[in-house]
Amino acid sequence: MTRTAEPDPRIRDPIDLERVEEDRLRAVAGLAPAPRTGTEYAGFDLVGIPDRPPETEREREMFTLEEGEMLVNMGPQHPSTHGVMRLVAKVRGEVIVDIDPVLGYLHRGIEKLCENATYTTVLTYVDPMDYLSTMHNEHAPAIAFEKLFGVKAPRRAEYIRALVVELNRVFSHGLMIGFLALDMGGITPILYSFINRDEIVDLLSAISGQRMLFNFFRVGGVNWDVNDEFLSRLGTWHSRALKTVTDNERLITENEIFKARTKGMGALSGQQAIDHGVTGPNLRASGVPFDVRKAHPYSIYPELEFEVITQQSGDVYARYLQRIAEIKQSMHLIDQIMDRMPHGAVQTQVPGIIRPKPGRAYAAIESPRGLYSVYAISDGGPNPYRFRMRDPSFISLQVMPLLMPGHLLADTMAVMASIDPVMGGVDK
Amino acid sequence: MQLLGNAFPETLTDLWTDEDTVELQVPRDRIVETLRTLRDDPAFGFFMLADEAAVDYGPGNRFEVVYHLYSDRHPAWLRIRTSVDRDDPHIPTITGIWSGAMFHEREMYDMMGIIFDGNRDLRRIYMSPDYRSFPQRRDFLLPDDAADSPAAGVDPLERPETWDLRRFGDVLTSSGDPHIDPRFLPQADPTPREKP
Repeated sequence: MTRTAEPDPRIRDPIDLERVEEDRLRAVAGLAPAPRTGTEYAGFDLVGIPDRPPETEREREMFTLEEGEMLVNMGPQHPSTHGVMRLVAKVRGEVIVDIDPVLGYLHRGIEKLCENATYTTVLTYVDPMDYLSTMHNEHAPAIAFEKLFGVKAPRRAEYIRALVVELNRVFSHGLMIGFLALDMGGITPILYSFINRDEIVDLLSAISGQRMLFNFFRVGGVNWDVNDEFLSRLGTWHSRALKTVTDNERLITENEIFKARTKGMGALSGQQAIDHGVTGPNLRASGVPFDVRKAHPYSIYPELEFEVITQQSGDVYARYLQRIAEIKQSMHLIDQIMDRMPHGAVQTQVPGIIRPKPGRAYAAIESPRGLYSVYAISDGGPNPYRFRMRDPSFISLQVMPLLMPGHLLADTMAVMASIDPVMGGVDK
Repeated sequence: MQLLGNAFPETLTDLWTDEDTVELQVPRDRIVETLRTLRDDPAFGFFMLADEAAVDYGPGNRFEVVYHLYSDRHPAWLRIRTSVDRDDPHIPTITGIWSGAMFHEREMYDMMGIIFDGNRDLRRIYMSPDYRSFPQRRDFLLPDDAADSPAAGVDPLERPETWDLRRFGDVLTSSGDPHIDPRFLPQADPTPREKP
């Protein structure tokens, strides 16, 4: 028995331009999904100028080429962009004249998803945002929802929270150091950093059950208490972690090539950094002592003893030194937390579906990349009416057009890696 | 609190505080000078823009642009709320005060369709340049499996009811569908094209 050969609508003649044009018109009229031709995907023709008139003053300035200038497209699949980000660089020879970050390749609309989820499930949606600081991603919404709902986490839960976010900060900063060296051609530091990261991820999976998207925080506490496996791993982790960090330091800090490529590179003054919304280690490397843990204390940080570390020069090398110093500071904080951890419950009883009273709450924390904040509005229903996240690496990326002009194209990688953007967070 | 009340007596329409946030409502035509005073006046010293976000209160209601500021002289976050007419979503930009507001404002334009007058780079940041909906508006519904959901069966990518049609020139078309720009409609009798 033979089947009737019906033409499959998905298979079409690849050179039927009439059909392609018709599809395009239907798509623009909103009648069909957009066809994906190479030019439309990139938004650029072969010369490099967008195939549409410039929308804004800045875009016109960026894409107007003078004699001897050309556009170079980096990404979105370039390994040094730390994810799917595209950088359009206007270059004269090898020197960058202007640079324009193009975002959105990883945009998932997490804010919108969270507005359609219950308060409990929001804490799972925010995990894949900044996937190197998952614990921090959950911390700010948990604080904001507790403010909205009027509950407080028990003291032991606050200590465990501080413990896991500091562990998370250690491996996040470690990876930044490794990637910075990797982008400039040194492979060894990233291996040392990953040894440390694997140990911490094992630690955190012992306490939360997951290796990367931990889903550990709850409204009114944390999911699990610390257990024997976690404690036994943590006992010996400290000395080994310190060794990987000092090994990296010995490889990088006094390395002539590293210093030649990073000192004075991408220098950012404190005033410029504040003006451009840079926060976190990048801001402190420019000499501004702003750390949310001190500036607007949350959780148990008022009870811990630590100083805000700053560097002076604000260049790539200072940002590297800042990360090294903050890793040691976090390990010191972990010691303090373990010494002082009280006994008690780790969760307050809250209902399965939380319906807070109408109101607004703002919570900000210090993530490894800076000020990460959540603004949540409740209308009395089971979902947040508005759920807004301010991701630090998204805002920090704005300094790229400020830092890069005058430097070589090859130094883009060093500056990018020192700003330490994570595209999951940038694109939300 | 007292300082704020004294400094902006005519600007202040509402002022309240919770455990660590002081909140202030400012009309949209006063927002730039208010923020500039808060940053530059040494009595306030709100040197850092912590967040700038938009809230949509639904069709027939209003938008709100919300600023969160930090000062090392005051213990609380300062939240400033500004109402924006939903049918006329214009507000002055604050990129002249903090350059870092640029990405915030581009995101709000992309997601909510709020137009920041004076911003010199107001283009889409996440969605592609030819995208026309504003996905974070309340009337942009997510597609849903349930058959009785208002969003059942819709095209998940574009929701024409959120298009701000005045942004796309003359609209009303002969097809009777106000959502479709006539320039993009397939012509009834297209000129024959040559095949390669």
